Amino acid sequence: MASGAATSLFDAATIADRWIADYCAHVDAGDVLCARRRDPEWAALLEELAALSGEALGTARERAQRHAEDIGTGFRIVDEGEERPWPLSPVPLLIEKAEWDGIAAGIVQRAGLLEAVLQDLYGESRLVADGHVPAALVGGSPFFLRPLAHLAPPGGHHLQFVAADLCRGPSGEWSVLADHLRAPAGAGYALENRLAMARTLGDLQSRLNIERHAPFFAAFREGLAAACRRAEPRIALLTPGRLNPSYAEQAHLARYLGFLLVEGADLAALDDRLYVRTIAGLKRVDALWHRLDPRLLDPLALDSHSTIGVAGVIDVMAAGELVVANAPGAGLLEAPAFAAFLPRLAEVLTGKPLLLPNIATWWCGQDAERTHVLANLDSLVVAPAFGVAPLGLPDGKPALGAALDAPARAALCDDMARRPQDYVGQEVVRLSTMPTVADEALTARPFTLRVFAARGSDGAWVVLPGGFARIGAHPDPRAAVMGEGIWSADVCVHGADPVTPVSLLPPGDTSQLRRNPGTLPSRVADNLFWLGRYLERGEALLGLVRVLLGHSISADTGAALASDTVAGLVRLVVQAGAAPQPNGFRRADLTQLARTALEGEQASVDAINRQARSIGAVSRERLSADMIRLLDAPFPQRGGLLDRAGSLQRRYSALNGLASEHMTRTDAWRFHDIGRRLERAVAAIGFIRTFGRPDATSDDLSTLLDLMDSQISYRQRYLTGMARIPVLDLVTLDPNNPRALAFQVAAISGHLNKLPLLSDDGLAEPQQEHARGIAALLVITNAARLDDALLADVEARLLQLSGAIARRYFLQGAEPLRAAGLVLA
Amino acid sequence: MLYQIRHVTRFDYAEPVAFARNNLRLKPILWSGQQLEDHALIIEPQGRVFPARAEAGLANVVRLVVEQSARTLSIESRARVRVDRPVPMPDASDPVLADIARWARESRDASPAGPAAYLFPSPRIPLDRDIAAWCAADLDPERGVLDAALALALRIQREFAFDPAATLVDTPPREAFRKRGGVCQDFAQIMISGLRAAGLPAAYASGYIRTLPPPGKPRLVGADATHAWVLVWAGPALGWVGVDPTNGIWMAGDHIVVAIGRDYADVAPIDGIVLGWGAQQMRVSVDVEPLEQVPA
Repeated sequence: MASGAATSLFDAATIADRWIADYCAHVDAGDVLCARRRDPEWAALLEELAALSGEALGTARERAQRHAEDIGTGFRIVDEGEERPWPLSPVPLLIEKAEWDGIAAGIVQRAGLLEAVLQDLYGESRLVADGHVPAALVGGSPFFLRPLAHLAPPGGHHLQFVAADLCRGPSGEWSVLADHLRAPAGAGYALENRLAMARTLGDLQSRLNIERHAPFFAAFREGLAAACRRAEPRIALLTPGRLNPSYAEQAHLARYLGFLLVEGADLAALDDRLYVRTIAGLKRVDALWHRLDPRLLDPLALDSHSTIGVAGVIDVMAAGELVVANAPGAGLLEAPAFAAFLPRLAEVLTGKPLLLPNIATWWCGQDAERTHVLANLDSLVVAPAFGVAPLGLPDGKPALGAALDAPARAALCDDMARRPQDYVGQEVVRLSTMPTVADEALTARPFTLRVFAARGSDGAWVVLPGGFARIGAHPDPRAAVMGEGIWSADVCVHGADPVTPVSLLPPGDTSQLRRNPGTLPSRVADNLFWLGRYLERGEALLGLVRVLLGHSISADTGAALASDTVAGLVRLVVQAGAAPQPNGFRRADLTQLARTALEGEQASVDAINRQARSIGAVSRERLSADMIRLLDAPFPQRGGLLDRAGSLQRRYSALNGLASEHMTRTDAWRFHDIGRRLERAVAAIGFIRTFGRPDATSDDLSTLLDLMDSQISYRQRYLTGMARIPVLDLVTLDPNNPRALAFQVAAISGHLNKLPLLSDDGLAEPQQEHARGIAALLVITNAARLDDALLADVEARLLQLSGAIARRYFLQGAEPLRAAGLVLA
Repeated sequence: MLYQIRHVTRFDYAEPVAFARNNLRLKPILWSGQQLEDHALIIEPQGRVFPARAEAGLANVVRLVVEQSARTLSIESRARVRVDRPVPMPDASDPVLADIARWARESRDASPAGPAAYLFPSPRIPLDRDIAAWCAADLDPERGVLDAALALALRIQREFAFDPAATLVDTPPREAFRKRGGVCQDFAQIMISGLRAAGLPAAYASGYIRTLPPPGKPRLVGADATHAWVLVWAGPALGWVGVDPTNGIWMAGDHIVVAIGRDYADVAPIDGIVLGWGAQQMRVSVDVEPLEQVPA
């Protein structure tokens, strides 16, 4: 806040005034700021930015961006491998309440109309029979799903959650560019943008009476729950998986709404019910909010190539036992060609005109419309009618008629003569502009607005006050050339009346509306188990490297170890696959070994961290932001090997601390802890079998205590120096030493006793028997009798235990094969 | 003609599979010119068979669930079908292609038998510039529909080689077109793609043709397996007319329709998923036996 404190309020007001004056001097009248430059809200907003950044607007932009990154909704730009955030503009779009009410009324009317059209087209098809909608308009959409015809959607509605892209014309009128009905994306970004802006702009939200988002999401959740048959429904968000561009948004929404985040493999359709595979067996799912291409929802009823759907899910829906939001098939109305018919359909079905007009559209499948489009080609945009690239527009993108060169124009007209139904003509939309920050100054850029609406518990539509704006990269105001936008901005609806602070999301927190319904999907348990194992595996390897570095390489940190002990350390590193056998034990050899074990390609600390990170990425909704950040942190680059190893050690300790102190004691945490303790137990046996043999030297025993993090406990307990039996007792059998083998086994056994059982017959399940067997073996042993054969036996039993846990709780690797293939002649 | 059909599909799995869930589209549909007199499914190991709640239209779909572990799955479909279908006769009074295209665009029939859905590319039969140009030679907008359809089918039969090694079941039409070879599905897909590119409604038909030729006639290509051909919509009066580009003939007394769709995905005799590991191998045999001789 240093820069903020340095700029007094008076300065801020002066700077804001100057920004507005400079900005409006260079901008067309249709700009949202200039049209309302006398409104105190814009001045207050810009003053806040000036107070934050002084003259340097770039600072404000960086700050907003940093908050957005901190909140952590990555966004994978399509075609790019890496996740990166969608840049957030520090200047939100302000819309006055009265103007917003007009937009909201238009969206509510539109959602109702779209629902009515879907009810008809998937039902009686009166609109087709009566000539209001050509049958080709229905058949032409790749998202018309014939299997859904005559199938009444459970809950009574095709649509539960919709989005639309709006544009504002130069004289301030709003119209609809596109509808999003299949799996509308972006509500999560609206949430995150608001959170980042609240952090950037402080209490401006209350001062300007800006409407909150939380009531909308609560209404959506209640609406979906009300559509279900059971009173306490289990609702899941079905994601296509982590490679989907908006996976992070989906994880965030699932967490915020208290929906289970599931993938197709987590679900099973059996006997007209949908179930999620959990650690407590199959649990019924009542509603799915899906984010899949709806054609991939069910490989049986829809596209048999789908590997991310659930076989039989449409049959469950048809049986009335599953609410699907939105109903697959709703995407039919997204086709641009439908926009040409909606004004007429509004009149037919509701007797009223559209409150929010579409952009003017002509479907060329009708002779008169095609003639109009061809005659006015130079002043129109030509676009694919159904979102599928026609032969005359090979890249599938809308084209400005005037911008087509002669060959492209000839190809277009040629194909339009044969397949006019594949094309629409659209008016060239000019967008009005809004301020954003470019080149350190307030700069006008064209924008579009995405708005969201959902059904509440009474089935009526509720509109999210706000949404998010997408801002174009260059000043050209034609919508057809704006593309996807390069910045996003928060959208704030402000009014005269104070907004009741019902926010269910305290600033700076990511708490959720509801707690998860206590269901742990098997896949999630599996992931958390392996996250625990990888973190411990990395830490154990790091421990070996640190002992090697500390005692054998770096001369000033401790006494050199005897060569036999060094050989033991090297053997453990090599057995772990982290480095090849060195040529000798000279200092250079050992340094090279340590470097490879830390940073090499395979099974190194770095490689293990990468595996942990990729599990973290698919478990976002279960892990805290701090944990994700630690997992995502880049491998340390600064300092020598010992410094880097130390920095990694601190990171592991922090992760361990977060897991043991900050994760709530749910079943999810238990699986994470079981994974950690199983791995720690296996590592301990390796250490003990190497350094605790009957002929162990005092260097060996001291190294064993180092690796088992028990040096201090030993010294407190025994004043005599190193002796094998006391060391073995401390690291193997002592039930009070949290690093000891017996302690890990007891902890695992304890966890397994607290996890759900499949039956209530009181008998132990196999994984419990395995764990108890190992614990008993250790209890009846004493350190003097502890020999290598016994340790080898315990190690084998631990691996059996791991297998038993996987068989009982996790999805078992049965891969779906397609039963396709056919001999044709 | 009355036909007795026996269609056996046998899957062998390298490892036992735990669970199978399939669509079976094996029972011939009701269609003009044919009557189903009897149909039975024999499945080993026995699974549960129940009608699909949601289906696309011109196919009889049942779902099969096998819950027991199995190394083989055998599905036999037995049908007795009476076929009595006249050979279409091109005539000067037939509607021309331009009329067909316009009627289809303006159609008010949203049912699965209406022409509208078959006007458009489908997942397995995209439009292709080269196929469109090649087929256009036979598809002058002022030409009569039956005349044009048969001419295109004959040209495909003449210029493309029947070559089972050239393509697989997933080969896209573009590739078979470039190779100028393939099997019934490839020829049907190329013809459908070309017809649709010209703005005409065309559907994919799957079924059987008789195995043994009548005395003195050559054996038809495509017997002993499931066969595929093309339906062209010829206007409200003529309706859907079948033509077989593999053999260069009309669909008439030798063809038994099992299912009709936009492409293979809508009509696949068996598809679905099996849970298991390892490889699967499939063998299919088809027998189409005439039960009575037509008087010469």
